[in-house]
Amino acid sequence: MTLSDAGAGRVEQLENRARMWQVWKVSQEPRLTSSRIPYSVSVISWLHDRASADRASQERPRSISSISLPSPIITLGLSKFSRWGSEMKTWHDPPHHRDPEKEPASLKICFDFLDLTSRSFSAVIQELHSELLVPVTLFYLILRGMDTIEDDMTISLEEKDPLLREFYKVTKQDGWNYDGNGPNEKDRDLLVKFHFVVEEFKKIKPVYRGFINDITQKMGNGMADYCHKAKYHGISVESVKDYDLYCHYVAGLVGSGLTLLFVESGLANPALLDRPHLQESMGLFLQKTNIIRDVKEDFDDNRRFWPKEIWSKHVSNFEDLFDPKNREAALNCSSDMVLNSLGHADECLFYLAGLKEQSVFNFAAIPQTMAIATLELVFRNPKIFERNVKITKGQACQIMVDSTQNLRKVCDVFRRYARAIHKKNTPRDPNFLKISIACGKIEQFMESMFPSQDPKAIAAMQAAQGPVVPPEEAEQRAMAEEAKWDTIYLLALVMGFLFVLSTIMIGIAWLFGARFDIAINELKQGKLSRPPPDAAQAIAGKYDRGEL
Amino acid sequence: MAVSILITGGAGFVGSAIIDAVQEKHPQWKVSVLDLQMLSHPRNNVHYERGDITLPADIERIVHLVRPTAIIHSAGFIPELASRYNRKARNRAFSVNVEGTRNVLTIAKSAGVEVLVWTGSCTAVTDDTAAEALVLAANDEKFATCALRPSVIFGPGDGQLIPSLYSCIMKGETPYILGSGLNLWDVTYVTNVADAHVLAVENLLSSRTAAGEAIFISNEQPIPFRDFCLAVWREFGHYPPFQVHIPRSIAAFAGVVADWMSWLTGIQTTLSNGSVNDACATRYCSGTKAREVLGYVPKVGLEEGIKRSCEEYRRRCKFGEKHDILEQ
Repeated sequence: MTLSDAGAGRVEQLENRARMWQVWKVSQEPRLTSSRIPYSVSVISWLHDRASADRASQERPRSISSISLPSPIITLGLSKFSRWGSEMKTWHDPPHHRDPEKEPASLKICFDFLDLTSRSFSAVIQELHSELLVPVTLFYLILRGMDTIEDDMTISLEEKDPLLREFYKVTKQDGWNYDGNGPNEKDRDLLVKFHFVVEEFKKIKPVYRGFINDITQKMGNGMADYCHKAKYHGISVESVKDYDLYCHYVAGLVGSGLTLLFVESGLANPALLDRPHLQESMGLFLQKTNIIRDVKEDFDDNRRFWPKEIWSKHVSNFEDLFDPKNREAALNCSSDMVLNSLGHADECLFYLAGLKEQSVFNFAAIPQTMAIATLELVFRNPKIFERNVKITKGQACQIMVDSTQNLRKVCDVFRRYARAIHKKNTPRDPNFLKISIACGKIEQFMESMFPSQDPKAIAAMQAAQGPVVPPEEAEQRAMAEEAKWDTIYLLALVMGFLFVLSTIMIGIAWLFGARFDIAINELKQGKLSRPPPDAAQAIAGKYDRGEL
Repeated sequence: MAVSILITGGAGFVGSAIIDAVQEKHPQWKVSVLDLQMLSHPRNNVHYERGDITLPADIERIVHLVRPTAIIHSAGFIPELASRYNRKARNRAFSVNVEGTRNVLTIAKSAGVEVLVWTGSCTAVTDDTAAEALVLAANDEKFATCALRPSVIFGPGDGQLIPSLYSCIMKGETPYILGSGLNLWDVTYVTNVADAHVLAVENLLSSRTAAGEAIFISNEQPIPFRDFCLAVWREFGHYPPFQVHIPRSIAAFAGVVADWMSWLTGIQTTLSNGSVNDACATRYCSGTKAREVLGYVPKVGLEEGIKRSCEEYRRRCKFGEKHDILEQ
């Protein structure tokens, strides 16, 4: 399984898992249930991405080529594509294309593995700038290989531990491969033929190799530590600090690794390197959002990623979250989790501002916008405790269109969903104010990047309007202006009042039987003076006869 | 150094908080107060003097008596509710805020006061800036001045914001949302404003990097005004039973009508043209300068601030104490 279950209770789960794999293999359906993230998987929390057996998803962007006008209909028609990775190919005009003609055989095999092991990322990775295309592909495959070892319940902890901790060394050993995986492990083949990855890895720039090895080593250690912890304590998270640490291993580290690659290749602003918390946030925002969304599925698989420090504020046992009796407490708990995730949103935008090149921007932005949409979907949504929820295809398409342009468009997406979250927020939620502040912080950050008021423009406008008047004089002028408007308002009010009053009076007279029709007719005939009382009766009688 | 500090408006809501902050951080400083009002429970070790800042003689008397090193000029006239926007109140505000400030500045300068910190408002940007301009223009080698621009201030003892929001519950006005309800808005908890004043005085007494500067002070947690209201009502156990959005244009018209009704009848309403603008406008400011120049960090967060303020107001209502101030 994914790295996210790095951890405990593995032996007990073994049978369970094996059964699940069987079911999946037989059904040949895209395996939605046990993957971390159907569509929104991150570039960064890659390891949660799983390829399906769906052959269609193996087509590369070049084969469908470019349909430059995004059409949701095209995408909707392809209902077998259940993840955005595949949808993306159908409409999107990629900034870069691979050139398979010039690729050596071993590299082609690596791309085939990328297609096989990743559904969402295969497309965005293969559209990356040629400088990063191969390093990022290999980075993905190496982490995927490590994850396949970590996930495999048939490998003993004694064997697994050194394998994980020293995985960064195998990339230096010509011809290294591994066939110790259980026969049912889905990505077993990748490790069996891992020498192709090693072969290609040798060819990339040494500096990229260094970065990738470094991250691989750190993650290998993190995975091994979690395997030990999980064996003795089960898969659960105690404090918010532990939660952050866990997410750091599975997602934050990938963020740092990719940032190193982006900057080294000159496609991102080097200032990103000085801000490790931004890199961390990119991964954490995605990971945390998916952990919230998959709470039910993980619970069914006996994994608990929601930290006890948070859920214990709302319910006494984790199981209680899923009891419909405790719906309100469960929703409040989920808000607490959403709040925790939302805190990373502004830093993600900040990070994206540092990406210069279009393909790199798309690669990093799409998962983030998908994540904010998912966060909105799960916020105060009781369905997350019953089943897996996901954003609609239409939404996913719209988000992709918006995420592959520029930062301002991406900010619009964030604003849209932050406001939707704000709208669902209720004062009955204990975190009402904190969520409101977090949404405000996102808006504030976007305002600071794209100010709606331009001081230069305002100054220019003021200059054009002539010299600045002294404040006291301005005060007097303003007062005169206000007095003028007060008079206009007062007149309007008086007229309005008279009109309403007259209407009421005439209305009452009419209700009481006043004959305005007669009066108007008589007036038309030029009879302006009041007739004597008996004559009045006669006139009225004249009009009524016809009706009787 | 023996610092003697004079606080104008020191018997008021913000002034009292400033005294507490000064006494907590600098117990050795001598504190005196010039105010129109006298407190029924004055602070200990504070010299209170009654006086009017629009009368130069009153200011001269206390300045010559206590010989202050620093003045925190926080006396100001903020008319209540709707009357804030009517002309009579404006005239009064002008004379207190502008003429009073001019008096304080002139006398302070001639008496050799070293430092003056002026409490303005973040509305300095939108309202008239006359008083602030005077303060900043007075800054020179010998006499360091700076202006603080706190956003709307609330806290325990607040006679305006929390009480008027509380009265909305009584009047059944809580379901109505003016405008989009998304406009961000800044408030500041009163002790944070007080902390900023102490920091400003410290700065002007030492490095003087804040001299001649106008600095925004807020809680740096802008939220929609509507959310602030909801959070306050929640403290009183009230949740609006339903919500109705009133477009800004209609609200503005109703505000104008309400202005005239209140002018005709003499009764103040919650709604007015000005309050509609307040409720619908996006108003928040950057806290960067306060952080960088003064080292200001809001110590009490918004949530905690609302909790404390509402708790105190609940107590105040229970004991039927309207104000801590003796009406004289």
